Amino acid sequence: MSEYLLQMTGIDKRFGGVHALDNVNFAVRPGKVMCLAGENGCGKSTLVKIISGVYTRDAGEITFEGQPIHHITPAEATRLGIQVIYQDLSIFPNLTVMENLAINSEITAGRKIVNRKRWEQTAREALSKIGYDIDLYAKMGDLSVADKQLVAICRALLFNAKLIIMDEPTTALTKKEVDALFKTVRQLRDSGIAIMFISHKTEEIFEISDDVCIMRNGKNVYSGETKDLTKRDFTFYMTGRELVDDYFVPTNISEKPVLQVEHLTWKGKYEDVSFDLRKGEILGITGLLGSGRTELALSLFGLGKVDGGTIALNGKPVKITSPIQAQKLRIGYVPEDRLTEGLCLRQPIADNIMLSSLKQLTRALGTIRHDELFDKSNEWVSKFSIATDDAHKHASTLSGGNQQKIVLSKWLNNDLDVLILNGPTVGVDIGAKQDIHALVHELANQGLAVIIISDDLAEVVVNCNRVIVMKDGRLVGEMTGDRITEDNILDIIR
Amino acid sequence: MKPKTLEKHSYTFMLLGLMAVVLLFFTVLKGAMLWKGDVWLGIAMQFPEYGVVTLGLMFCFICGKMDMSFMALGDFATIMAVQYMAAHADSPAGGVILVGILIALGIAVVGGLINGLLVSELDIPPVMATIAMQLVWTGLSVALTSGNTVKGLPALYTEIGHKYLLGFLPVPLLIFLLIFALCWFLLNHTVYGEKLYMVGTNIKAAQFSAINTKRMVVGTYVLCDVICCIGCLLMVNTMASAKADYGTSYVMRCILILVLAGVLPDGGMGKIGNVLIAIVTIQIIATGVNMFPNLNTYYASLIWGGLLLVVLVLNTRMGQGGLFGLKLPRAKKA
Repeated sequence: MSEYLLQMTGIDKRFGGVHALDNVNFAVRPGKVMCLAGENGCGKSTLVKIISGVYTRDAGEITFEGQPIHHITPAEATRLGIQVIYQDLSIFPNLTVMENLAINSEITAGRKIVNRKRWEQTAREALSKIGYDIDLYAKMGDLSVADKQLVAICRALLFNAKLIIMDEPTTALTKKEVDALFKTVRQLRDSGIAIMFISHKTEEIFEISDDVCIMRNGKNVYSGETKDLTKRDFTFYMTGRELVDDYFVPTNISEKPVLQVEHLTWKGKYEDVSFDLRKGEILGITGLLGSGRTELALSLFGLGKVDGGTIALNGKPVKITSPIQAQKLRIGYVPEDRLTEGLCLRQPIADNIMLSSLKQLTRALGTIRHDELFDKSNEWVSKFSIATDDAHKHASTLSGGNQQKIVLSKWLNNDLDVLILNGPTVGVDIGAKQDIHALVHELANQGLAVIIISDDLAEVVVNCNRVIVMKDGRLVGEMTGDRITEDNILDIIR
Repeated sequence: MKPKTLEKHSYTFMLLGLMAVVLLFFTVLKGAMLWKGDVWLGIAMQFPEYGVVTLGLMFCFICGKMDMSFMALGDFATIMAVQYMAAHADSPAGGVILVGILIALGIAVVGGLINGLLVSELDIPPVMATIAMQLVWTGLSVALTSGNTVKGLPALYTEIGHKYLLGFLPVPLLIFLLIFALCWFLLNHTVYGEKLYMVGTNIKAAQFSAINTKRMVVGTYVLCDVICCIGCLLMVNTMASAKADYGTSYVMRCILILVLAGVLPDGGMGKIGNVLIAIVTIQIIATGVNMFPNLNTYYASLIWGGLLLVVLVLNTRMGQGGLFGLKLPRAKKA
């Protein structure tokens, strides 16, 4: 048997014109934790899907336990002992823990009749593998993310997994939960199971992994042992450049706040949140997934509820009940999920840019000025150097960064006092990311009040002159200037 | 022609090609029978009624919604209108007809409002909501008429419907053309049309862009049902009566036409020009099939159902990766 459990050489995959994986080589050793690292969109997920049999590779060789594997299907991968725990965990939220654990093996065994005793036995066996204790009859949907994850791990172990792949498992976990997860991961590793851990968080990767493989633009740019790598090198391999952080320097902060939020509450989502915002500021709101950060933004944009507290704009109390009203109050919002909330992908770039400012294009009898729609959107295309030769092309033809520039232009084409950006650079390549940051700095210094909501701490640190931290629906910390560092934020979050 | 223009209109050319194939098919089988003047006059007389209905339904489809109730609603509205007109047969016909039409359109507005509110305010899936409304309207019609035909229209109503403008343009065709022009203008030259395509493509993104999506959905259902009702009023003209199930057989035909024209209920796509070509093509098929005395009307459902299936399969294939190098026009400006 070779030294490696899984070895992949010269893997190539294309989707139409996109070269998603370009001659990728890497290997996983048994009983080790291997980290697959890379920025969003670098090809990590594609690679995982090739291993798990969801996609078929165009070229390259895969060997598992020394045996060459020509064609993998998801069933074949399971048989070999490869288990993937996806970010959504693929659980049934409406079923109990027991049912979630037992259902796969029941189906694989082709059983048609439910035997509660046998189900319970299977479930207990699964939990005992990592010595994890939980109510078997609890509903899966009621568990915390961390518990769900552990159940998913137990389920994977039922299939005699030799390789467990975890896709960004720590995204929604608190520090404590991450520690618990890592304990389990080490335990599995020591029992001889290989773990492939997918992440882009530097700290975690250095904490947990033995080996690391870094990908960038579909190529693997580094693979080797983690201890041979410094954090500085790691960042360089991840991003492909020595990052010169261009910190935001506010030059134009107004005296009076433009937005004042006091004791704002949306029951069950967030409670008693107060802050104010001045023109020329970039305020960061950060916190884990589920901390209430997005819901807070939705309330400010008229899409969330307000159960208590007040919002005041330029000193006047306001009620924001719809995006239409938010727009009238000169508030713009760039949503979290660009593809489902930000863009009409199957429509032209130009129409997307002008979507929130159709009033400007209205003539008598409700007719539309097509010429102006096109001219105006072309101004934005050239101003933001959106990479297209024709604004009549569909928004779907663009990359993530350019799409985000469309969503930004859509709102900047309105006269705004407050611009809320939720995850402005998620899935955006590094070049476009810097463009967007520079643009936001410029806007703030021209007198716009900006809120950046993000869990990308580096982004918050570099771009904000003030940061508030949310946890479990409450505001738990605020910092300004030099006090804003990743470590300080992490201390509060975790 | 520039290759780009060719590509831009490839779907239109395909539809025209299909129309040519259909014409050739019936010409080969029936020879000169197809090319008589009165056959074409018949075609021009027949398609306006469901053509108008199809134009109404088109708005719903572009908005990404579905309406199954449009014909049942139209039948009910026209029954009420005809009953009114019949009951006031001794008053001056002109005024009675006008009031009757207004009654029908008023009911259509109410029906559209109900559909729109069910879908946008209560978030009921459009197909479910409108099937329920279809049953309600049909139920009301049957209860009111015991399922019988409602007659007693003022003679003037059918007389107008059988007049020719300038001696060659049948009035129903004229009405169809007027409504076609209006719809074309709405879709291509108004802010409403612009919003409609965007809302149909991604209603959530439209909402996040400060568009009043609820008002768009409700308004579109009202527009759809009012235009459909105008189609039903033309049908009353043909039949000189109203009945609870006159429109039923047209439901599938209207959906078939839209799907054939590339106006899929997924929303945000399709061009009105293609709808016109599809309407005429379908009418040629209907007329052609009628020339075979052995193929009686009982086969009609089979033919329309089979055609719908074929078109759906082809359209899905084209959506997924193209068929014969053709692609569905994914947006109005594709």
